[in-house]
Amino acid sequence: MSEPAAALLHPRAVRLDAVAADRDDAVRQCGWLLAEVGAVTSAYTDSMLERERSISTYLGEGVAIPHGTASGKNAVRRDALAVLRFPDEVDWDGHPVTLAIAIAARGDGHMAILAELAQILLDPDRARGLREATTADEIIRLLQPAEDPEPEKEPEEEGSAL
Amino acid sequence: MTTINGKDIRKLVIACDAGMGSSVMLAGQLRRALKKQPVTVEHTPVDSIPADADVVVCHTGLAERARRGAPDVPVVPFEVYLGDPAVDKVIKAIKDGGDLSV
Repeated sequence: MSEPAAALLHPRAVRLDAVAADRDDAVRQCGWLLAEVGAVTSAYTDSMLERERSISTYLGEGVAIPHGTASGKNAVRRDALAVLRFPDEVDWDGHPVTLAIAIAARGDGHMAILAELAQILLDPDRARGLREATTADEIIRLLQPAEDPEPEKEPEEEGSAL
Repeated sequence: MTTINGKDIRKLVIACDAGMGSSVMLAGQLRRALKKQPVTVEHTPVDSIPADADVVVCHTGLAERARRGAPDVPVVPFEVYLGDPAVDKVIKAIKDGGDLSV
């Protein structure tokens, strides 16, 4: 089942003014923050780094979603997200990243939030709004899945059942 | 090269490594896009693709493993997680019943 953004993303797991020397440094900070809120053990960070080295988690629009590998799931204690904002950007395999949304998950509870994130990033204006958010509450609100997850720009194919 | 028709796709599987990030996101997107279609969207580890999958979608970096694990299932590789034309083609084929060459 999908969970509201607030259940998975605690305000304590949001850092708005992070600074990282490079991608690995940023990923380590993501792992540290997930551990800090009790979502993972410290072993998770190595699995996150391993994942970046095989396939980058850079998504687009200045956003990456670092997370562990299949074996890293053993280090997950509960499903959670963490958000680190890097106002000075981090070089992520050649892409400038402003926002890292770190994931720790055993289940699928965060699927609706990630689908919402994809919708946001496909719209440059909404993507900028997310990158420029200045409070934890605003980020949590922006990632909250829409009540009726219907693609907005698609014309209705049939009359509404209502 | 295999050709399948979108109307014959009943189960679409997104193959992934951990099943935590990009594949979950893509599964969420595809479920939204295909909500009105008679298609099941699942995501599974690349080494355990179900035998009844009609089509597998996965990152190019995992395509070889997917083909080894499910030699009889057409595999559609994609490069980027957002708005990849390969994924859009699969959605279109399912919605319009068109042919999909993979």
